[in-house]
Amino acid sequence: MATALRTHSVGRVLLHRVTLTYLIVALLWVVAGVLKPGFASAGHLRYLLELAAVMGIVAAGQTLVIIAAGIDLSVASVITFSAMMLPLLSPAGDPSGLAGVAATLLLTTAVGTLNGLGIVLLRVHPLILTLATATILQGALILIAGGSAISVNNPAVVFLGNGKLLGWPMTIVTWLVLGSLVTALLHATVLGAWLFAIGTNDRASRLAGVAVGPALVAAYAISGFCAGLGGLLLLGMNRQGYVGIGEPYLLGSIAAVVLGGTSILGGRGSYLGTVAGAVLLVTITALITVVNASAGWRSILFGALILGLLLLSGRDRESR
Amino acid sequence: MSGLELQLRLLWRRNAGLWSLFTLLAALLVVYAWLHPGLLSIAGVARFTQTWFPVALVALAQTLIMLAGGIDLSIGAMVSLGCVLAATLVGETATAAGLGIAAVVAIGATIGATTGAIVALLRLPAIIVTLAGSFLIAGAALLVMPRPGGSMPDWLSDALAGDRPTALAMLILLLIAWRVLQATPLGHAINAAGDNPQGAFRSGVDVPLARIATYALSGALASFAGVYVAAQTGAGDPVIGMPLTLDSITAAVLGGVGFLGGQGTLRGAIAGSLLLVILINVMFFLGFPPVAQYVAKGLIIVAAMAVRLLRAG
Repeated sequence: MATALRTHSVGRVLLHRVTLTYLIVALLWVVAGVLKPGFASAGHLRYLLELAAVMGIVAAGQTLVIIAAGIDLSVASVITFSAMMLPLLSPAGDPSGLAGVAATLLLTTAVGTLNGLGIVLLRVHPLILTLATATILQGALILIAGGSAISVNNPAVVFLGNGKLLGWPMTIVTWLVLGSLVTALLHATVLGAWLFAIGTNDRASRLAGVAVGPALVAAYAISGFCAGLGGLLLLGMNRQGYVGIGEPYLLGSIAAVVLGGTSILGGRGSYLGTVAGAVLLVTITALITVVNASAGWRSILFGALILGLLLLSGRDRESR
Repeated sequence: MSGLELQLRLLWRRNAGLWSLFTLLAALLVVYAWLHPGLLSIAGVARFTQTWFPVALVALAQTLIMLAGGIDLSIGAMVSLGCVLAATLVGETATAAGLGIAAVVAIGATIGATTGAIVALLRLPAIIVTLAGSFLIAGAALLVMPRPGGSMPDWLSDALAGDRPTALAMLILLLIAWRVLQATPLGHAINAAGDNPQGAFRSGVDVPLARIATYALSGALASFAGVYVAAQTGAGDPVIGMPLTLDSITAAVLGGVGFLGGQGTLRGAIAGSLLLVILINVMFFLGFPPVAQYVAKGLIIVAAMAVRLLRAG
């Protein structure tokens, strides 16, 4: 009875946080639309959603990892890695370009798996290990790509980034599919339940028979996959890749997860919240661009907004 | 067992995790001195300590915060801000320069204390607060100086980063200051706050205050690293500190600060930062391309962790 009550109230708080984030997004869109005609036009909002798709997809993997009380600081490097490696991994004799896409996603999933294995087997703190992975990838990228920009002509990637399916942009379709899969994984599979359990209490879940190691490796592998997919979408949208293309998505993905009401300490959260967080972030970035401020002010505005929103929605009551 | 033997054993046990690091350091130092014989002179030592000093300062800043169970991802931005502020505020005369440096360090301490207060009093997660803080501070640095510029008095650059081993002397002073800090109630409170926050709180330790103090001290150290970098390069640069965030974490981790807090040491942080700097210098002399440093830094972190696991296992 008491447990049922608590679960109920926790659910309400969670719903409240998520609804709050959606409300802020709606408010921002209305205010910006009134102040700046054109901001709230259907075309611009769809463009914002397409941008949010990349953030949302990268943050999907980050959500799983953070719910399990981990963190993935390698997403930015994995995004760049994915975008830069695609041309090298696309075989010349494949007109569809799907082989290159599959190979790239396989590679980034492997990077994620290595992250997970390192964290589980070497018992390294995820913050340190994924930071180390990011550093290694950064060096490897410059060695491989030499710091030059690449252009993409892989038809599958161009379709992913620019194509339309039944009138819907492929980026948004991909996001919808991946988002549904991640939501289902979190709330309707054993793995999802395990991730919540690990995030709540690692030792207790171990004693309760949760396969902590495999579950964590899976979470980091999925995060690698998501970051890789995000990189391919970004590459398809921009039609070119360069070293540093993934940079904005490191803080972005973590902020989207936290603003969406997922506890940075793990154990509580939802992907629906992260979706709201991703749209919110992209909206803020677009607004800051509209304001036409100097680089310094843009940076300050971004930091201040994250901090302000964190006060509103990301507060951890039992934070250490 | 005689008292002396017991003491030696204790000394061994207390530094067990550090001996391998010190051995590795000694070996690398020999290699470095062999590759670059110029190291073995007063000017050589002075030059070497200068490249090491900023990294040692940020490693110390990060170690302090991690000791109390936190993390700071805005250290690099703080170094940049300290650097541009120094190039703007530090005047030509000795008094003006002293006042300018004091002002920069005070600003750093204030920003650090604010960050600490947000983390400790509002109970927001340190990682995301300091990540947001890094954007605020980096933005402020860009406002002070949108592109590299400003200047430092020549005599100050010469005194801090010339042929005299000033940096080494300052490191030794810091070591003494750390010892003093560790003997004060605040030092104990910092260790206790990281080791067992609840226990510390119940024993009457003001845990939030100890945390705020670590962020304030760290802000002061990082902004002083900025002053030093400005003296070294003779000008301000709004993005110069960026790589130092990762370096500070790497050095602190190499030096044995656990993410559990309460177990880091100054000699660990100093040794960790020294290892990082020697390694980069040795790689440079061996003819590796500069980007290979990235790969090496990442691998070192993983290797250090693996070694610790083998030891514990």
